Amino acid sequence: MRQKLFEPEYVLDVRCIAGLNGIRPQTGIGVEIGALTTLNSIERSDFLRKHYPVLTEAAATVASPVLRNMGTIGGNICLDTRCLWYNQSLTWRKACGYCIKKDGDLCHVAPGGTKCWAAFSGDTPPALLCLDAEVEIAGPSGTRRLPLHEFYTGIGDNYRKLEPNELLTRVFLPASSADYRGIYRKLRVRGSIDYPLAGVAVVLKRFDGHVSDARLALTAVNPAPVLVKGVTQLLNGKIMDEVLAEAVGELAAKTAKPLTTSALTPEYRREMIRVFTKRALLAAASN
Amino acid sequence: MKKELIELKVNGRSHELAIEPSKLLLDTLRQDLQLTGSKRGCDDSSCGACTVLVDGTPMLSCTMLAASCEGQEITTVEGVSEHGSLAAIQKAYGDWGGAQCGYCTPGFMMTVKHLLAVNANPTEEEVRSALSSNLCRCTGYSQMYQAIKAAIEAEQKAVPST
Repeated sequence: MRQKLFEPEYVLDVRCIAGLNGIRPQTGIGVEIGALTTLNSIERSDFLRKHYPVLTEAAATVASPVLRNMGTIGGNICLDTRCLWYNQSLTWRKACGYCIKKDGDLCHVAPGGTKCWAAFSGDTPPALLCLDAEVEIAGPSGTRRLPLHEFYTGIGDNYRKLEPNELLTRVFLPASSADYRGIYRKLRVRGSIDYPLAGVAVVLKRFDGHVSDARLALTAVNPAPVLVKGVTQLLNGKIMDEVLAEAVGELAAKTAKPLTTSALTPEYRREMIRVFTKRALLAAASN
Repeated sequence: MKKELIELKVNGRSHELAIEPSKLLLDTLRQDLQLTGSKRGCDDSSCGACTVLVDGTPMLSCTMLAASCEGQEITTVEGVSEHGSLAAIQKAYGDWGGAQCGYCTPGFMMTVKHLLAVNANPTEEEVRSALSSNLCRCTGYSQMYQAIKAAIEAEQKAVPST
């Protein structure tokens, strides 16, 4: 709001709606997390750490400890996409002729195109995608529920399916994605406070030493958090080793489409997606 | 914007204030209550110079509306001293050079106060993780780490464990 990226007529503080705050396990069904649950409560939840560790790990890397006392899971899911040409003061943006995401009609990142490439930079959504999360959205005509991957559009300046009169109210994690091993790895310039410049979430289940199911999602390198396709097929029934982890790393790097929307070069960020994927898989499969 | 009457509890005292509902907690503390300890640093909720405790939890007062803190207990750096004398952590920051220009110090005080309130004997990792909420651009963090260690030792000497 200070940078005049948002100019709302009214601001409403919704912190105090108790019904939308809290982690409620439902036996046999999964767990329901209120949108106003702070990232700190998620990080500290023994239930989530035991059954959905990838989420607690991702929540623990968001911004800084004090900001996690204020930031919520709903806020992290709805987080605005970011770009070096967008997250600037009004004066800065005006001097550059604005950009397609706000007030202008051209993209400085991909000149000539009409698509906005601002990067989605939330930490918890890739973890939630790996866990097959669903979100509940409340509006004037009642509530609707949709899988999280359908919530994002992949378009930087219209990145989520949420109307101005709607509110994201709850997140659901199914029992079927409980008890996976989970790892989240995040690239940033400072060890705290920063948004991710590349992020990798991995969940993995093994049976008798062989991978029985695995999912991988990326953040901060596309206009939406994305599940990497083909990972389950590539890993199922195999024993995790360096070569296999390397192959999945290559696949993840191909899915990543980093552009000059953030600090560090796109090449480095793509390379780190490959490296983090490999490390995360090996860590998730280690005893 | 039309002002409204709110009651704000700060450092153990109740204040009745007429403020705009859009006024930030930081501005209310500094302008209406003259509690200028909390500082405006980055103004975009990254640096932590404006950290205050809201019901014991550190939060950034530059990103909160004062009106939504009604009924909650707010503690600023002015409320850290004990009976008019410096708290152990304040003294230790002075002794160990934990502050240079001092602008970030009130924010750090609140973060550290919360850390020690929930965990009287934090590990090195826990201290460093807590300090990662605030930015300091001159002294660095090592002296602060030493100051916190010294403050913990001083507290333990003052209150012999039984």
